[in-house]
Amino acid sequence: MNMDQALQTYIEESRGLLDEMESILLRLESEPQDEETVNAMFRAAHTIKGSAGLFGLDAIVAFTHVVENVLDEVREGTQAVNGELVELLLKCCDHIGLLITVVAEAGEMLDMEQAAAGEAIAAVLRSLMGGAASGVAMPAVQEPRLDASGGGPIEGDYWHISLGFGPDVLRNGMDPISFIRYLSTIGDIVSLRVDDSELPELNAIDPESCYLSFSIEFKSEADKKTIEDAFEFVREDCRLRIFPPPSHLAAFVERLEHASGNTDMLGQLLIEAGILTSNELEDALAAQENTMAAGGGAKLPIGEVLVKEGVVQKEVVDVALEKQRQIRDHKAQEAKFIRVSAEKLDELINLVGELVIAGAGASLLAHRSGDVALHESTSVVSGLVEEIRDGALKLRMVEIGETFNRFQRVVRDVSKELGKDIGLEISGAETELDKTVVEKIGDPLMHLVRNAMDHGIESAEARMAAGKPAKGSLRLNAYHDSGSIVIEVADDGGGLKKERILKKAVERGIISPGQTLSDNDIYNLIFEAGFSTADQVTSLSGRGVGMDVVKRNIQALRGTVDIESLEGHGTTVRIRLPLTLAIIDGFLVGVGKSAFVVPLDMVLECIELSDADRKAADTRNYVNLRGEVLPFVRLRDQFEVNAAAGKRENIVVVQYGGQKAGFVVDELMGEFQTVIKPLGSVFRHLRGISGSTILGTGEVALILDVPALVQLGVARDEQMVMHGA
Amino acid sequence: MAKTIMVVDDSASLRQVVSIALRGAGFDVIEACDGKDGLSKITGQKIHLIISDVNMPNMDGITFVKEVKKLANYKFTPIIMLTTESQEAKKQEGQAAGAKAWVVKPFQPAQMLAAVSKLIMP
Repeated sequence: MNMDQALQTYIEESRGLLDEMESILLRLESEPQDEETVNAMFRAAHTIKGSAGLFGLDAIVAFTHVVENVLDEVREGTQAVNGELVELLLKCCDHIGLLITVVAEAGEMLDMEQAAAGEAIAAVLRSLMGGAASGVAMPAVQEPRLDASGGGPIEGDYWHISLGFGPDVLRNGMDPISFIRYLSTIGDIVSLRVDDSELPELNAIDPESCYLSFSIEFKSEADKKTIEDAFEFVREDCRLRIFPPPSHLAAFVERLEHASGNTDMLGQLLIEAGILTSNELEDALAAQENTMAAGGGAKLPIGEVLVKEGVVQKEVVDVALEKQRQIRDHKAQEAKFIRVSAEKLDELINLVGELVIAGAGASLLAHRSGDVALHESTSVVSGLVEEIRDGALKLRMVEIGETFNRFQRVVRDVSKELGKDIGLEISGAETELDKTVVEKIGDPLMHLVRNAMDHGIESAEARMAAGKPAKGSLRLNAYHDSGSIVIEVADDGGGLKKERILKKAVERGIISPGQTLSDNDIYNLIFEAGFSTADQVTSLSGRGVGMDVVKRNIQALRGTVDIESLEGHGTTVRIRLPLTLAIIDGFLVGVGKSAFVVPLDMVLECIELSDADRKAADTRNYVNLRGEVLPFVRLRDQFEVNAAAGKRENIVVVQYGGQKAGFVVDELMGEFQTVIKPLGSVFRHLRGISGSTILGTGEVALILDVPALVQLGVARDEQMVMHGA
Repeated sequence: MAKTIMVVDDSASLRQVVSIALRGAGFDVIEACDGKDGLSKITGQKIHLIISDVNMPNMDGITFVKEVKKLANYKFTPIIMLTTESQEAKKQEGQAAGAKAWVVKPFQPAQMLAAVSKLIMP
């Protein structure tokens, strides 16, 4: 296929279209209101013009363009259809036919008479438009072909390029048209308007100078820089403005909002978002310098310069300024921080711990001495010590947000790897917890997140089939709850399948076949060592190591993990961690001569164990607490304290993870600042004890592991109930 | 009638590669090995675009461009300078002399064709 053959095709095509136009025109005379016929005629003229442009048949383009304009007005309803117009348009068809014949008989020119006739028709057509198109719109150099259903200039999502060539451009050996032609290699020129307002009187024209400006609607997937590069060689000689399509604007703004924050320079921000090119920025900076020189030293903000020069829209600059402010704020915040080595901080907290213990000793002595003044001053001191303790602990508190944010990337990468579409939602990012805890929670969280993505969230097809949105959702949430921090990893996937877990657990010998378990217990089986229900082992998870490691890691932090799941709706893994690992507010209780500490955050209330209950308690391990069954644990029995029961016994009611239980103790000794001293490794497997502390007297008190004891109490209670039944 | 491009460079291989690329794109090519050679070949025919190196024996590119600009026939002929990254000063000089377009060496034939197609069509 060469150009000659293509030209033949065009000639035939055009003749066909002209015939069609003619018949439409004849029909139009009888039924002038038919919209579709007008459209068809418009399309015919448009096609003839568009293709003529491709072959460089300028005479046809110029004439058809005028015809097209009139037809456009007819289509819009601003031009009435009457016999006169139809007559005129028929003449137009004849003239176009003539022009095409000239092309067909290559080389032949229109004779003077024919040319004059054509010009006369065109003049009449122009007059019909009432000079409405005074800013003469020239046809595009290279019209994009429009499909048959289209037609007319399309208002749309195009780049807008405003191109004002300098007068020297021709002298520099540059042909403006060649750049516009080059532009069409990276996209489609939808329309092109020539602005000849700079053109002087004919006798003042310097033929070596360029006076023309162009405004182009450009359809392209290319980015701004690529488009700018097309004019690389004339940049210095021309005024170039490139405006992105409206649809890009939203994307730009979004990119701006998600800028990395590497720079707080407005220009750089805009470049990073692809809104500005570095050339444009340089020009704007130069303009800024100029105005500064001219305006007597007042420097205009670069944003204003960009808007004034028409490079960037004001709305975009506003967004960029807002982002800049955010980044600067963030930087300012960063500047307020002092970096302290964690070791120094730990040392301080240790010392504060010792201070607390020594303070307790001092106030005890003061209390015993009975000296009121001394007692008062020590109580002031201990008040201050308490504040210092809180302050020191706060130094180590960090927001969990940073840890959470790391998962954005993980979720993005892993979902790509798995071929799933998964979004991450983060809430409670401002929740604070101890830095040592944050450091250690990263790995278990990573495991849970990967697990949820791999096994929890189903493939898009499966989700659609289940009537769920194709995009899976993963949620990380954190909040404070009675002295601990709760971190949730939730997915909206398929949920845990009880039967499968049970079957697997029996297979692996984790439970015996006949065992009946509550739903919760079944779900928690997945934390047992060597357990994996995944049908397929993937590179991410499913090797059966992991969930038990997660649990061990969390337990090492004195935390607990439990799981909640609804088949078909998703799974939530909930991690509870103590806020801090160093000092807590405790509640001191005595059993015989021993002292125990219950973390105060978990204590709900204290009640006296009535005589009736004491008697009944010999046979059962629960009391009636205002109509509620309250299982309890006798610390005396639990820890085998060798001392006779006191005259009176009390119950400390504690709550943990939604469950209540009571500890039966002899004596309630009140609040106590507890510096946690970890137990030696020998005692690690002791149940019910989580640590130790030193009292003011120098004696050792054990810190109760409330979660373990509550579980124990509840379990015993259930057992007894079952035996009783 | 295909348009003609003159390639002026003292490297024969560079001239050859550029020529092949340009001929492939439908241009006619005249080769010259330096500014002097270029000037002697430029008269008597229509050349639509000149591609010239900067550093050349006998007559360097800058002088060549200045001489070409003096010729009435070539007042409006686009000239592409071949510069290297380190020759920012030379590039400025070339632009002042009238070579407003440039291609930075080393370049791929495709880059050269892109630059050419911004200026003229075959």
